[in-house]
Amino acid sequence: MSAQAPQEAAKPPINTDAIWEFLKSRRSARLKLWMDACAHCGLCADACHYYLANDKDPEMIPSYKARLLKQAYKKKGKLDEAFLDECYKRAFHECTMCRRCTLFCPFGIDMASMISTLRSMLTSSGRAPKGLAAAIENYLKSGNQMAITEEEWVETVEWMEEELQDEIVGATIPINKKGARIMYTVNAREPKFYPMDLQLAAKIFNVAKEDWTVPTYGWDDTNLAMFAGDTKTARYIVEQTFKAADELGVEYVAITECGHAYRANRWEAEVWLGYKPKQKVIHSVELFAEYIRSGRIKIDPARKLSEPVTYQDPCNVSRSGGLEEDARFLMNALCTDFRDMNPHGNLNFCCGGGGGAMPMGGEMRKDRLKSGKVKADQIKATGAKYLIVPCHNCFDQINDLNKEYDLGIKVIQFKELISEAMIIPEEMIPKEEDEE
Amino acid sequence: MTFLEFVEGPLLWIAFLTFIIGTILRFVLFFAVSVKKDKIVYQYFNIKWIALTILRWLLPINRDILKNPVYTICGYILHFCLILVPIFYSAHVLLWEEGVFEWTWWIMPDVWADWMTLVVIAIIIFFILRRMISADVRILTTATDYIALVVTALPFVTGYFATHGTLGDAISVDTLHLVHVLSGELMLILLPFTKLNHYILFFLSRGVAGIEFGRRGYSI
Repeated sequence: MSAQAPQEAAKPPINTDAIWEFLKSRRSARLKLWMDACAHCGLCADACHYYLANDKDPEMIPSYKARLLKQAYKKKGKLDEAFLDECYKRAFHECTMCRRCTLFCPFGIDMASMISTLRSMLTSSGRAPKGLAAAIENYLKSGNQMAITEEEWVETVEWMEEELQDEIVGATIPINKKGARIMYTVNAREPKFYPMDLQLAAKIFNVAKEDWTVPTYGWDDTNLAMFAGDTKTARYIVEQTFKAADELGVEYVAITECGHAYRANRWEAEVWLGYKPKQKVIHSVELFAEYIRSGRIKIDPARKLSEPVTYQDPCNVSRSGGLEEDARFLMNALCTDFRDMNPHGNLNFCCGGGGGAMPMGGEMRKDRLKSGKVKADQIKATGAKYLIVPCHNCFDQINDLNKEYDLGIKVIQFKELISEAMIIPEEMIPKEEDEE
Repeated sequence: MTFLEFVEGPLLWIAFLTFIIGTILRFVLFFAVSVKKDKIVYQYFNIKWIALTILRWLLPINRDILKNPVYTICGYILHFCLILVPIFYSAHVLLWEEGVFEWTWWIMPDVWADWMTLVVIAIIIFFILRRMISADVRILTTATDYIALVVTALPFVTGYFATHGTLGDAISVDTLHLVHVLSGELMLILLPFTKLNHYILFFLSRGVAGIEFGRRGYSI
């Protein structure tokens, strides 16, 4: 309801032929099926956090938003500015493509895919949100969303390696190590703003005696092009990552605690690429759970988090990732007072920061915070003091919600929790006991 | 050939054939396009995920039962009755027996058919009212949704009055009978081509959803 129109200045003229060509190229059997099957029953309404957070505004019903795609096909791409404006508002400002509605639809209609197609249509006609368009430019220029150069990346890695060596004797962050088991990839925000994230991951890998490496390109596993529906760039991004993985001959591509990065590399990459990558893609949640299950990482029971703590299921880790149970295994292994939200797991509510809502920046802020009310209420109801979340977008959004709705929680990732509670083997502990 | 003979003869054949061919075409069309454009469906094709999701939603054992119990349960009862009554109602079975195929099968007691017909009509009235009254459903509703409901109600309303003759002299039983057969034929013809097509699309749509989430290791 409250969405601003896209940047006024940058609206290119409408090319209805190009829109129709685009729509035709995307008309798959499933898309057609979903557009035809909807019985307009309304059961998806209260599955949506936008609907619930906006006083049950009927215009927020997933089926209502997704209907625009059917109209676009009916109009054979002959769309005017007003129609495209509505598409922009519904597709970018009123849906995070979290797919919760699909789980309540009697037909299992993938409304998020319909919204994603609308986003593609807008992006292909030059109407992508500024924040996403800027990121796409960066990917194409530098291979990562933050335009970090290879030199800067390597410097950051080396710096973090040095820092880590003060903590763990003989710790390394191997760069371009051929034949390693795991190639670890990160969210470009980490080297840019949170280099400690890389250090924490490295600490866990070193203690687990993992055979791992980081590449010099293809290391940004994020894929904001996916949110804009720019499949060409989305494919280019994952191509870089798997090219690096092929070159290094690794077995796994590991993804940092980021939801959409996992979605893009694990589930969508093969669709964009048209072939299945050689490497298995593994999310940090899976990897850490594997370490603890197998005993490669041992947790000191006395150092488990004892304060009340809850877990945010990122949509792309749980519902669209299938890692609901691994996350709960980790929570129980690392915390003594774990309180699940209601609902949770595959049925969780989106935090409001997904689907590109965070990187869309200022234009989205108001809608984002409003739609996050559902999540804020859920968190409050648990009485938790801490919240664990393995996703950068959720992380930022929940930190914003924390301020906006006065939740009084501390938001952390699994890395921090594991790093605090894991038992570091004697030989890895520095001898000189200078206090930090 | 009188109009009634035409309606009970050739038109009946046309209606059934349209229904059967339309159904087959719908499936064929989906597979023809999806083989080229939805490769992921076939890469991860898995009978287990497809069967699980279809069963869960074909039977009232899904999450909407808890979320919207009244509407959902009405939906199940409606579908249950509207499939069973036309197939097992005594006069219908008798017609099949007298027809060219001489098929026959179990007959439901007439009193069941009566009540189930009234239930169908009542639920359809409820659904029409729901579409008009609920702001949520109203905004989604298109003319096709009303058409689907009315087309579905017609054979049951006319069938009920034709059987019971309760309209007295206003409309003769013969006329009602004619309208009943016509409305049944209309429904058969429209089934594959209107919103009623969900008797086919349900299976396809649930199937692809089952595969999409089954890929992730769980059943929806």
